[in-house]
Amino acid sequence: MEEKKIICCRCNKELKPEKTYFSYLGHSYHADIMRCPDCGEVYIPEELVKGRMFEVETMLEDK
Amino acid sequence: MEKFKEKIKECLQHEPAFCTAVCPFRLDVRDFMEKMQRGGFNAAYRAYLNTVTFPVIVSELCGEPCKGVCPRGSTDAPISMKLLEKASIRYARNLDPNSYNLPDKGKSIAVIGAGISGLACALRMASKKYRVTVYEKSDRIGGHLWKLLPSEIFLKDIRHQFMNEEYTLCLNTEIKSLEEIEQDAVYIATGAGGTDFGLERSETGAYASVRPGFFIGGSLCGSNTMEAIADGLQAVNSIERYLKTGNMNQPTPYSGTKIKLDSQLIKRQEPVIPAEDGAYTTEEAVNEAKRCLRCSCDACIRHCDLMKYYSKYPKRIGEEVEITIHPGTLDGNGTVATRLIATCNHCGICKEVCPLDIDTGEFLLQSHRAMREKGAMPWAYHDFWLRDMHAANGESAALCRIPEGYKQSSYVFFPGCQLGASEPSYVMESYRFLLKNNPDTALMLGCCGVPAEWAGDEPLHRDVIDSLREKWEGIGKPIAVFACPTCKQVFEKYLPEIKGVFLYQRLGELGIHPAMEGRSETVSVFDPCTSRYEPELQQGIRDLAVRAGFNLEPLPYEGKYARCCSWGGQVSVANPAFAREVVKVRTNQGNNPYIAYCVNCRDIFAAAKKPVYHILDILFGLNGSRHVPPTITERRHNRIRLKRNILKEFWRDDENMGEKANGFMLYMTPELRNKLNNEMILEGDVQTVIEHCENSGKKVADAETGHYIGHLQIGNMTCWAEYVPRDGGFELFNAYSHRMSIEEG
Repeated sequence: MEEKKIICCRCNKELKPEKTYFSYLGHSYHADIMRCPDCGEVYIPEELVKGRMFEVETMLEDK
Repeated sequence: MEKFKEKIKECLQHEPAFCTAVCPFRLDVRDFMEKMQRGGFNAAYRAYLNTVTFPVIVSELCGEPCKGVCPRGSTDAPISMKLLEKASIRYARNLDPNSYNLPDKGKSIAVIGAGISGLACALRMASKKYRVTVYEKSDRIGGHLWKLLPSEIFLKDIRHQFMNEEYTLCLNTEIKSLEEIEQDAVYIATGAGGTDFGLERSETGAYASVRPGFFIGGSLCGSNTMEAIADGLQAVNSIERYLKTGNMNQPTPYSGTKIKLDSQLIKRQEPVIPAEDGAYTTEEAVNEAKRCLRCSCDACIRHCDLMKYYSKYPKRIGEEVEITIHPGTLDGNGTVATRLIATCNHCGICKEVCPLDIDTGEFLLQSHRAMREKGAMPWAYHDFWLRDMHAANGESAALCRIPEGYKQSSYVFFPGCQLGASEPSYVMESYRFLLKNNPDTALMLGCCGVPAEWAGDEPLHRDVIDSLREKWEGIGKPIAVFACPTCKQVFEKYLPEIKGVFLYQRLGELGIHPAMEGRSETVSVFDPCTSRYEPELQQGIRDLAVRAGFNLEPLPYEGKYARCCSWGGQVSVANPAFAREVVKVRTNQGNNPYIAYCVNCRDIFAAAKKPVYHILDILFGLNGSRHVPPTITERRHNRIRLKRNILKEFWRDDENMGEKANGFMLYMTPELRNKLNNEMILEGDVQTVIEHCENSGKKVADAETGHYIGHLQIGNMTCWAEYVPRDGGFELFNAYSHRMSIEEG
């Protein structure tokens, strides 16, 4: 998949994948997510939200 | 919950079918028929063989007691069991008995009498690899079968079934005294009029005699041919128990059944008569088998959407919920029923159809509470609706007021939070009409708290209830006029001191003349599940519809069998697939447009493109049956607009406008608006995200499109917006949300 070029509006830097932590229902989970190398601003595309992220949410609810 | 656990023990799920209950062999006819119905003759034959042991003899001689109790008997004709048994033999691929490769048990059994009862016992014991010796005083086996069947038939069957087993047969050997016997246990089956060696049957256990190790059965004890065979087979359990434990106390097999069947629900289906030589062709056999109802107590699983969806009976649900609330592991793994608990519509049909009144719905509500208290119920399942309740009870939408010039009211109109959200005119028109007849009628806009009840949040629900009570007391304890049957149910349960009537009955009493003309259009009244125990309301709605000139056709499920439209329990977030399925089934149960009198039923069906009127459309001449329901965002706005218009018209109060919506325009395509509605994303939340991004500068830009993208966690949910500024407002290109929190620290 070709990555979109995403720019942080405050730092004017291109976002790069970086290990990011998520939490839901008391469980923690991490994934490489596009972040601004300076301020850490995040971008999560809809495909990821509706895909893997939703799967993990459902899994944790049924755990 | 403890009460339910006790009650559930009485569940009739495992009660045998009527036929099985009277069958000497306790043949599992449900299982046999399931195989026959799909043309599985071989599988059906194996089931039959394993139960009766001598399939040819039994299918020839059985007197079919099952036919006498088959519920089809009172409708068309009982199932032709014998012909189906014969068909299973005729069309089975392999007729040979099973060959069991087991080690020698090291115990020996004597069977006295080589009649069919003794042989049945001998065969079953031999197949379990006991050393069996059969003593027969005459020179042939078969006993009284010689009088009933041509010998080539029964001798062939006996030989065939014994083909894999070894046993010792002593013909012309009369046992005169039991002291001659050296084996470990004895089955005495000397036939009708045979000797019982002076032994009496003991009451301590099945087939037991008063002497340890000696068992009696068959025609000797008055059994008929079929019972004699069954005795021989069932005595094996008693003998084995004795060999293992030394006890003669094998319980007598349970007979009878507690299941009930409403014969009026049986659809007539003519019996299949074999076209040729008294035997079924494969096709005829399958068709006859398909007439079998496979009777069981399954009313709950047939009528309850949840049990049907999960294919689980109350007992199983009880067990799974138990381990979900009390998981066996420290980290709480294996909470299998969390989603199931949150999928109950709380419509009450499970209790209504259960012959024992087992209330699985109430159990699931209590379980929901227990899960929430532990913090084990995912917040996401009810987050949207709790926020919605909060908005409905907030300053901008809620109201409790007595008309000018009055100090207290004799009536208060309580339309509920969804009626005005769906269509403000419903509330305006109704209130106008009520005021005309009782000018002191107060108005209460707000939510009855049921979202908190369904979310299992008792403290929150109590707060709402307490606040309702306080407001009601403040306006002089009037009689409540309810538009929503759910509100009335909640009030009856938690505010029993408040007397309530239904708006529609009240309007009928006040002599309302329906403004819409039905023009003989044929429609069906859809009773909401909350009207189950409100027969007068149900009738009242029908009277109003008829008065308007509609023709009514009944639905399969109505009156006290009313079923939920899918709204109940607000389960659509926890289990969207289930909710969709329920809507599909409800909209397809009748071809005519519906008349709903719960606005949630109306909106759910209208969203599924089912033509549906609300009864208030008919009474006040408002929307047609193809009305498009508002989006979740419009619903919020409708409530605010309703309060504003109400204050303006009835209290001439322009000042109390409540909160203003976010001050900028949000442009988007109708498709995107639809998507936000389907994904339960409020446009107001998207505006909050954009406002946050613009104020803080925390946003990113897509280099190619130039769109800004930003996010904000609002409450629990995190919402994303993709937008650009436009004409002093913003154009939205996309929005989505997730439950997981991003740890941004």
